[in-house]
Amino acid sequence: MKIGIRGLRKEFAGARGPVVALEACDFEVGEGEFIVIVGPSGCGKTTLLRILGGLESPSGGEVVIRRGMEGGGEEGGRQPLTSMIFQEASIFPWMTVRDNVAYGLRLRGADERRTADSVRHFLALTGLEPFADAFPFQLSGGMKQRVSVARAFANDPQVLLMDEPFAALDEQNKIVLQEELLRLWSASRKTVIFITHSIDEALVMGDRVLVMSGRPGRIKADLPVRFPRPRAVYDLKGDAEFGRLGREIWMLLREEVVRK
Amino acid sequence: MMTESAGETRIVPDDARAAGLHERLWRSGAFRAVASPLILLLLWEVLVRAGLLDARFFPAPSSVLGELWAMVASGALFKHLAYTLSRVGVGFVLGAIPAVLLGIVMGLSPAVRAFLQPAIYSIYPIPKVALFPLAMLIFGLGESSKWAIVAFAVFFQVLISTLAGVVNIERVYLDVAADFRASRWQAYRTIALPGAMPFIFTGFQLGLGMALIVVVIAENFGTEFGLGYMVWHSWQIFEVREMYVGLIMIALVGYLSQLGMGRLERLAIPWKRAGQAALRF
Repeated sequence: MKIGIRGLRKEFAGARGPVVALEACDFEVGEGEFIVIVGPSGCGKTTLLRILGGLESPSGGEVVIRRGMEGGGEEGGRQPLTSMIFQEASIFPWMTVRDNVAYGLRLRGADERRTADSVRHFLALTGLEPFADAFPFQLSGGMKQRVSVARAFANDPQVLLMDEPFAALDEQNKIVLQEELLRLWSASRKTVIFITHSIDEALVMGDRVLVMSGRPGRIKADLPVRFPRPRAVYDLKGDAEFGRLGREIWMLLREEVVRK
Repeated sequence: MMTESAGETRIVPDDARAAGLHERLWRSGAFRAVASPLILLLLWEVLVRAGLLDARFFPAPSSVLGELWAMVASGALFKHLAYTLSRVGVGFVLGAIPAVLLGIVMGLSPAVRAFLQPAIYSIYPIPKVALFPLAMLIFGLGESSKWAIVAFAVFFQVLISTLAGVVNIERVYLDVAADFRASRWQAYRTIALPGAMPFIFTGFQLGLGMALIVVVIAENFGTEFGLGYMVWHSWQIFEVREMYVGLIMIALVGYLSQLGMGRLERLAIPWKRAGQAALRF
C-alpha cells in the first residue's frame, strides 16, 4: 500500500454554518497504481486532492502516505512526496518554458547540471524542446498543459496528483495529451491520483476508477479497469467492456447528479 | 472594401492607391500628433504679433525660444536641469526600493497587512507637499530634505501599487509554490515580485509624476538651482520668458521620463510583450 485514507472528513466554514465537503472517505492506493476519481461537481474531489498534496488539512480521519525508496538523493534534497497538476493554466507566465519545468528542482537546490539534464529530458518527452525559451503567452492551451505535466514529472515526486488536467482542452488535444501522459507514466511507474468528470477519460487512464458520491463526498464504488497497457485511447473506446463499464459508472453517477 | 453592383455585393481588398498624398498624410498618427501643437503655437505667435494677446503674460513662442537658446548657450539651463534630475533620481530610488520590498511582504502576509494598512491608508491622502515644511525642519534646507520629500511621495505610490499587484496574483500560482514547498523567501522572489511587476511599474510611473510635482514645489526653498527654482525665481523678478522655459523643461522631463519608464517596463517584463502572434501547436 502506498496511500491509505481512513474516515477522512473535511468541513469548511460557510456563510450559513459549516459545509461538510468530505465525510467517511475511505480507500487505499497501491504503489505505482493509476487511480482515477470521478464524481459529480462539488463532491469534494478537488478538496481530497488538496489534502493529499498538503494544501489543506483534514478536519478528521487520517491520510497515510508511505515514503518509498529514496530515489532523489543524488538530485539534491529528498525526493518530494507529491506534486500536483492543476486544472487551469498554472504555469508561471513570467518564466520561460525551461524555467517553469526546472522550478521544483531549483527550489530544492538541486545540482545545476542535473537540473538541466532532467529538464531537457522531459522537454524532449513532451515535445516542448522547440519552445524551451518561449514564454507561456506564446503557447497554445495544449502546449501550456504539457509544460504543467513536464514540470510535475521533472520534480520527480513519488505521487502525482492531477486535478482535471485536460478538462480545458479541446477533444483532439485531449486525446493526444492523454496518450502522452500514459507513456510518461508507464516509463516512470509513479503512483497517480487523477481526478476527472469524464467517464471516458477515467476508463482510458485508470487501473481503478473510484466513483464518489455527491456532497459530502465519500467513495461510492471502486471498479477495477483491466484493459491491457499500453492503451491506445481511440481503440479502447470501441471495446464492448469499455461500453459496459462506462454505463455502470454512469448509472452510479446519475443517481448522484439527479439527487441534487 | 465593399462594392455593390448588379444585385450582388463584392468584398475585395482595399485599394491603397486610391488614397491621395494629403489623405495619407492626414491619416498618419505622427503627423496628427505634431500638427495640433504646431498650429496652436503658430496661432499664439500671430495673436501676440497682432497685439491681440498680452505679451507680458504670454510672450511669443519665438521670444521664449530665443530665451531657451540663450540659456542653453550659457549652460545655465543644464545646471538647473541636472539639479532637478538628481533630486528626482535620488528621491525616487530612496522611495521606490523600500516600497517594493514592503509591498511584497504586506501582499503575502495578511497579518502584516492588517497591522500596517490603516496607518498607510491614513497617511496616503495627505498632500505630500504639505509635509515639506516638516521635512525641512527635520532635514534642513539642503538637498536631503528634497530627497526626503520626493522619496516620501514615491514611496506611497509604489507601495500601494505593489500591494495591489501582489494581492491580485492568481491564487493558483501561490498554490503551485506551496505545492513545490517554496519557502517564504522563495515565494517572494519567484512568485510575488515577478507576478506584481506590471503593477509595480504602474506605481513607478505614478510615483515619477508625483516626484516631479513635489520637487518643483520644494525647489522654491533653500536652493538657487533646479527647474522649479527657475519658475519661482522668474516669477519674483517678473522674467516671464524664463518662466516659460522652465515650464517647457518640466513638461519635457515629465514626458521623457515616462517614455523611458515605458521602455524599462518592456525590458523588465518580457513575458507581457503585446502584439506578438502566438506560436500555434
